[in-house]
Amino acid sequence: MSIPSPVTHSESSILSDRTFFDDFASERSWEPGWFADFRKENWEKACKLASPLRDERWRFSQKSRLGFSKVTGLDSSEESISFESSDPSEGVCLRKLDKVILEEPDLLGGLQEFSGPGLGADESFHFARAFFEAGFYLKTNRDATVKEPLFIEHNPGGENLARFHLNLIELEPYSKLTLIERLSSSVGDSNGFFTNLTMIKAGEGSRIERILIQELNSQSTFHNLENFEVCADAHLSNVAVHLGSAQTRVESKGCLSGEGAEFDISSLALGRGKQLFDQRTMQHHLAPNGKSSLTFKNALLDQAKSVFSGLIKVENGAGSTNAYQSNRNLLLSDTAKADSLPGLEILANDVKCSHGATTSKIDEQELFYLLSRGIPRSTAERLIVLGFFEEVIEKIRIKDQLESVRESISNSFDT
Amino acid sequence: MSTSNQIAVDREKGNFHFETDYAYDAGVGLSEDVVKYVSGVKDEEPWLLDFRLKALAAFEGKPLPTHWASKDLENINFDQIRYYLSKGQKPSRTWEEVPDDVKNTFERLGIPEQERKFLAGVEAQFDSEAAYSRMKDDLEEKGVLFMGSTEGLKEYPEVFKKWFGKVIPTSDNKFSALNSAVFSGGSFIYVPPGVKLEQPLQAYFRINAENFGQFERTLIIADEGAEITYMEGCTAPKFETSTLHSAVVELVALKGAKIQYITVQNWSNNVFNLVTKRALAEEEAEVRWIDCNIGSRLTMKYPGVILKGRKARGEVLSIALANDGQHQDTGAKMVHAASETTSNVIAKSISIGKGRSSYRGLVEMPGRPSHCKNNTECDALLINAESETDTYPAITVRGRDNSVQHEASVSKVSAEQIFYMQQRGMSEPEAMSLCVNGFVNDLIREFPMEYSVELKRLIDLEMEGSVG
Repeated sequence: MSIPSPVTHSESSILSDRTFFDDFASERSWEPGWFADFRKENWEKACKLASPLRDERWRFSQKSRLGFSKVTGLDSSEESISFESSDPSEGVCLRKLDKVILEEPDLLGGLQEFSGPGLGADESFHFARAFFEAGFYLKTNRDATVKEPLFIEHNPGGENLARFHLNLIELEPYSKLTLIERLSSSVGDSNGFFTNLTMIKAGEGSRIERILIQELNSQSTFHNLENFEVCADAHLSNVAVHLGSAQTRVESKGCLSGEGAEFDISSLALGRGKQLFDQRTMQHHLAPNGKSSLTFKNALLDQAKSVFSGLIKVENGAGSTNAYQSNRNLLLSDTAKADSLPGLEILANDVKCSHGATTSKIDEQELFYLLSRGIPRSTAERLIVLGFFEEVIEKIRIKDQLESVRESISNSFDT
Repeated sequence: MSTSNQIAVDREKGNFHFETDYAYDAGVGLSEDVVKYVSGVKDEEPWLLDFRLKALAAFEGKPLPTHWASKDLENINFDQIRYYLSKGQKPSRTWEEVPDDVKNTFERLGIPEQERKFLAGVEAQFDSEAAYSRMKDDLEEKGVLFMGSTEGLKEYPEVFKKWFGKVIPTSDNKFSALNSAVFSGGSFIYVPPGVKLEQPLQAYFRINAENFGQFERTLIIADEGAEITYMEGCTAPKFETSTLHSAVVELVALKGAKIQYITVQNWSNNVFNLVTKRALAEEEAEVRWIDCNIGSRLTMKYPGVILKGRKARGEVLSIALANDGQHQDTGAKMVHAASETTSNVIAKSISIGKGRSSYRGLVEMPGRPSHCKNNTECDALLINAESETDTYPAITVRGRDNSVQHEASVSKVSAEQIFYMQQRGMSEPEAMSLCVNGFVNDLIREFPMEYSVELKRLIDLEMEGSVG
């Protein structure tokens, strides 16, 4: 019988070590002064975070799995972000963040006001702002319509290494854009820690469709923090597909700050093994006539676990709001587990808000129908899962992306 | 639509106070001595004093649940509350024996004497002790026990001790611990196997001393195949400073038993009503909580059912009405601990003026039991622009053979409906009242007739002046 090794109570990671940060900062001493201050301020905030014994924002989650305690360093090696051209079309400016820091740091002046989703993952938020080295900066000009979708690829860090990406997207009024981000591990089996912090501001009357496809390897820890600001009459649609990682924390917050803003967010996650998907969302209505809709679908096999916690908050003054939130979980094994915390906080009366949450297994009759037509059980289950996800998949309106997602889901049943 | 002039007609009805000579009074504040005093007055056995003292330690050790609940809880000053008060009277057997001033209070409450004669058994609680307790002879013949908590533990320990504090452990939460330390009053009921009570048992509760917390303790045991409906309704006089009400209600439904527990809560607007209610349902048993919250400053109440036996069924039907200065934080808990258990939760809330209503729910299916089903629906209606509502359900499901569905919606009264009725000659307030009554009508129908009539009237009163 083996004697368990003594438990080391080092919940804090190397990232909060002062020498480690100082070394990091001195390597980047070429950055403008306000950058150094910004990093330091955030690093200090991350280190000072009190972790209350019971935090509602982490309810049902396995917080220890999502921490940085196993991180041994930062991965600043090779390129971790790639896209085809820096000025893909007229009226749009797309730059790697490291280039912007080097050449035009003033473009990032808005960084200070750039708040996170603030739904619990304060540590990774502040670490991301302290340690970011890559990411992208994207801005469209007024009235510009970007016809071809932009395609960006993120690669997380290597074994035990953390990588932080910071992405700033700004749409000037009346511009249009479609953006696809794909996250995949370049190194086969490394347990990288990847944090992707994104801020999108959709200016008045603009339209953006963003698609995020996450296919990290099965050892990765992933934090996806996103904050969307939707101005008057703008339309922001976000579709996320989560197929990979060992554990993922998603925080998505949409602020409908202008009259007539529309926010549409959907997500699908297919969990197997011991995968954990911890999803926190907020639809924050601050102005009248806003419309928001949320659809989060999780299908869980083996011992996979999902936590969905969403809130629709309607402030007083956000009259004629129409908000919807739906969380559907499909349990495909006896040990899969789904927690659902759909929430409403309504402070205005002229509203139409509703939410629905369901958790169940595959419908026996649907299964029977397929079986009775000679389709093997495993194929039948795959078809039903694909059908279950179709509502989200069909929102990806780019044909080859849509098909590749379908294929990935389908293939994951073969292994 | 103007929002001024929120008339709280019903508040004034309870605005009276009789000088009462409190023969036993433990003073203000909470300490070990107070607990010993309460136990001593009741002449309790040592194990019960031990139980109380442990509970006091648990209460002191627990923080207020403000990490999720309303910060208003911090306004309770536990040192300014009276924890025990009693007339020192034995529960009266006949109406004639009830002291005149107590009768007077009930008169003002408007409980007609005929109704009491008509109903199977009425136990009215005056402050801590049962002032009046009577059962019809035929109930006694059936072996039904219906008495106060002190009496129950003293006279029938073999019946009640077994389940006392078992459904809701002392340290379940801060307020159940508080209740366990200083409880007095409440009902203990035992229904023998196979006995089906056709008429509901009733208890009226009443707070009647400034800063006096009422900590009643109720335990209802329905033995195999027994059926019982219990009704509790309360009003309280209006006081200057806040009053705390923290009850613990435990229900035990043994195999095949049915318990229906009906509450109409209409405390005055300064009462903190922090109640723990939970039921245990054995095989094929059925427990229904029917809950209506109209009064109080802050109510926190989440009736729960632990579905412990196969095919057990739990249900919570809840109506909440929050007016200015009120927060109705209500909900339901369903724990599916056995296979083929089902539960149903229907909650409707109405927020008027600056009132706030919250739904907080918990549904748990831990995995090993299978074929469990839950359905939850919560609808909220907002009347005025400052009205608030929240919904915070928590659903945990493990395993593929269970299914849960939850739905919630928030809306205001449809302008089209109001227009339709106005067009047919109704005034706007009338139309509004009708809409609101229609909104809760399917739930109100579940209440016994006399309650549903009263409820409709109460809703009309609350609605007065909120529109127009």
